[in-house]
This record gives sequence, C-alpha cells and structure tokens, in this order.
Amino acid sequence: MSVIDLGGGVSWVHESFPETNGHIHVSVYLVDAPEGAILMDSGSFHHRQRLADRIHDATAGRGIGAIILSHSDYPHSGNIPAFRRDWGDFEIIASCGDPDLQGLPYARRTKIGDVTEVLGRRFVVLDPPLADRNHTTWVYDEASRTLFVADGFGALHAPGASHVDWGRLPEEGRAEGVHEFHAQTLPWLRYADPDRVMGALHAMLEQHPPAWIAPIHGPPIAEPDIPRYMADLSNALTRIAASYPAQTPE
Amino acid sequence: MNEPGSDTETPPAAAPMPAARTGAGWRRDVWPGIHWIQELGGHRAGIARAVLESGADWYKPGNELYVPQNAYLLTGERTLLWDTLSPASGHILLPALEALLGDRPLDYLALSHPDVPHAGNTMQVLRRYPQCQLVAPAVGETHALYHLDDAMKVGPEDEIDLGGLRVRFPEATFLDAAIHTWMSEETTRTLFTVDWMGFPHQSGESLRRTDEIDTVVDVGRLEEFHSRVMFWFQYVHPHKVTAATDALAVQFAGYGLAPAHGLPIPGEDAAPYYERMNEVVRRVAAGGRGGVL
Repeated sequence: MSVIDLGGGVSWVHESFPETNGHIHVSVYLVDAPEGAILMDSGSFHHRQRLADRIHDATAGRGIGAIILSHSDYPHSGNIPAFRRDWGDFEIIASCGDPDLQGLPYARRTKIGDVTEVLGRRFVVLDPPLADRNHTTWVYDEASRTLFVADGFGALHAPGASHVDWGRLPEEGRAEGVHEFHAQTLPWLRYADPDRVMGALHAMLEQHPPAWIAPIHGPPIAEPDIPRYMADLSNALTRIAASYPAQTPE
Repeated sequence: MNEPGSDTETPPAAAPMPAARTGAGWRRDVWPGIHWIQELGGHRAGIARAVLESGADWYKPGNELYVPQNAYLLTGERTLLWDTLSPASGHILLPALEALLGDRPLDYLALSHPDVPHAGNTMQVLRRYPQCQLVAPAVGETHALYHLDDAMKVGPEDEIDLGGLRVRFPEATFLDAAIHTWMSEETTRTLFTVDWMGFPHQSGESLRRTDEIDTVVDVGRLEEFHSRVMFWFQYVHPHKVTAATDALAVQFAGYGLAPAHGLPIPGEDAAPYYERMNEVVRRVAAGGRGGVL
C-alpha cells in the first residue's frame, strides 16, 4: 500500500524514524486538487527516495503541483529541491516574515488568517498553539475538513504500528506516546499553562471542526477519536509543566 | 581590517575595535578574540510600522529597520565558528571567514540549533574547511534528520579549550527547537543566547554594541522581537519564565550577552536586561503574540 486514503481527496504518506522510546512519524499528506496534487510538507531527506516513489505511484507519474509548507525546519522542507528537480518548479506556499532567510526565496508567502487557494482548493491558514518555530502555520482544508498540523498533535508509536491511525493504536502506551512526543519536541511546554494551550486548541477545533487532524509527526486522528486525544494531550501538558517547577535562583 | 577596495565605514568613536563593511557584508571584533559577522536581512517594514504605532522613541521614521542574524568567530590558538547565518548570506559569511582566518584553519563549527537562519551555510563552511569538526547540541533525539548524527555532541558538562579561550555549552533556557544549546566563553565571560535577548536595530546601528548606540533598548524594543520569535510566551505561566530568567541573571552575573538577533550587550550593562525580559514575558502573556518574524 503506497498511501492511505483518509477520504475527501486526502491521502497519508507515512514514514517513521526510530527514537529511544518509540518511533516518530515524519510523514506527508497528498491532497487532490482540481488542478493537480498538493503535498503537505516535503518530508525528510532521510526518506527521500521512498517518498518520491510512493508519490509517483499515487499520482500516476504526474508528481505534485504544489507544496504547502508548515515551516522551514529541515525534516519538513528538506526534499523541496529534489522534488523540484523531479517534478519541475511547482509552487511553494509558506508562511514566514522573510522567505529568503528561511531558504525559500521562491515561495509564495501566506500569513495567519489568510484563506488561500492552491491549485483550485481552498485552505485557511491558522495560528498554531503547538509549534516550535515562530513562522509555523497550520492549514484547514475546507473541502475535506482536514486540519494539517505540525509540530503539535504528534505521538510516538511502537515499531510496526506506523500505518494505523491514532484511534487504532493499542491502548497500552498510546497516552504515553502523546506525552513523550510533546515533552521532547516542544521544550517550551515546561513553562506553559496547560489551560491556556488547551483553551486555544479547543477554540480552533470549534471554529474549524475537523473530520481528521493530520499531524506530520503522528498518526492521523479521526473525528470520533479527537476527544480522547485531547484528554490525553491535556494530561500530557499537565505532566510536562509539573515536571519543571519554577526555579529558585541559587 | 578593511579589505583593499572595500566600501568602508568609519567605526563609531566609542568602538574600541575596528569594524569593516565590505562588499560582502559586515564584520568586526566585538570583544578580544570574538569576531562578529552580521547579516542584516532586508528592511522590516511591518515591524517598523508596529514600532511607530507603539509610540516608541528609539526608532527614527524613514530609517531602515533590521532584525539581524549574527555569527561569531572565536579565535584562540584554535578557532570556532558559532552559527552560520541564513542561506541567503553565504556570500557574506565565507569571505568574512576567509578574511578573518587568513591561512589559519577553522577547527570547529558549532551550531546552536539546526534552524535554517542559524545553520543555513553549514555545508558550504564544511566544504570550504573540510578538516573542521562539526559540533552540535547533544540534547534531542533526531540528529540524523538534520545530518548531525556524525557531529561531536556537546552539553552542559562539556568544554572546548581553544587555547586562550574556553567555551562551554549551558542548557538553552529559552529555545524553540528540541536540539538546541547556548554557549559561553569563560575568559571574556560572554554568554551566547541565540534566539533570546534579540531586538531590532536601525540604520546607523549595525555592528554596534549596545554601549555604542545612542538609543535605548527598552522593554518595548525587546518585546517587538520576543512577541514574534517567542510567540509561546502567550501560553506560559509568567512566573515560571521570570524565575528561570532570574536564575540566569544570578548564574551569569557580569557576563556580556551575545544574541543571534540583536546587538551584543557588555557585561557591565547586562543586569537590567534580565528584568526587562521579565516585563516582556508579562506583556506577551497578557497581550498575545506580535506577529511572525
């Protein structure tokens, strides 16, 4: 199976990387648009050939017509030059104050709050409450009601479980995978007020209700599983914050 | 230090070290053995508008406003480059390195974190100086996704003796990426704070230390930067951040501060900046992020 169909013209092209306490997804998503295929992020150079082969198969050799980039971090943007060599100078859509500084001089710049059309499909550009780089954006695909997210909403998984969505991961260890991922990926959460973060996330989900949450660093989360994921995430944020009590100057 | 044929600019009277603006960019000595290479980037019109709307008196309308990238070259008996500027500035970094090093090798390239504006010329530097040892933060799990799996990993217990200069790698207290470190140089007592303690500057202030400019770096000026780059201040318990800042102020009392996105702050002037940053956190936590950088 080269890609996994989530419905609504969205497919998950999953890749994982082994870490100490589990595997982490470094995945991408393909979106069928009226004027071509859109890739959400470009994946890591580590998986370049496998991703290129699977995208080639999934698009019947046509390749991609655009990339929407969550942010310029290398595991998300590292394949752009190679994919442009494979499939031509397709459009790059990215959010940042200065595309040159992010190594994306050819990108079309979007900003938080934009509603942008890419290859004939509409996306809402959102301000992510769970991100590492300041220029990160999430996008909501109105047609499929898919919320594409990085770096938050990830989860570590056991080897061999890289192809299943979050709700079908074994219950044992699933919540711990949510905690472990956020503890190691978003170090600022040590200072966070979990209620503020969760409040912002709930407001976003209310305004843009997803049929799927589609993380780069975790398995997709189906609509019926979102309440359970949010409960696990809330517990994870509380544990992370509690593990870093306020410092006292020596 | 100026290169033949370069477009030079007279350093400010207070500057104790020579500065040079060449066709390839900026560089100067900031403290003994510490050389500063600066990428200005373009004029930040959006931030300039926000500064004017805030009523700040440090910015003169019509001036260009910059949020720079800084790299620092440390030269003892051995040499170390701290960060590499953005991929848009290989034409600034490499000529500056060649001019500063002359026939000397670059012994170490240390990356604060593998973020594009900090690590964007890593491969170019390693190709130019193939014997150079790449140094990366030990913390984090995904080094292989950044081509850092073969790098020398450093953390708070490590020190590199450059011969006349000694660098250590304290934990990055305020950071974005998981793979991240700060650096200190112990003979000059300089703390390299990467994304923290940055701030914009304007025309005429490039390559000046804070004691060499006529304008103030107040809370509002620090907020313009941190409310964008440390957008997550809007989600924190402010007291946890201010406690961490207070601890830094004690641990690094008297150290000069060398940020990646601002002007260096001499050690004798640094103490008030910690309290200013505490006020920045309180403001962003109350008012939200300022935008995107």
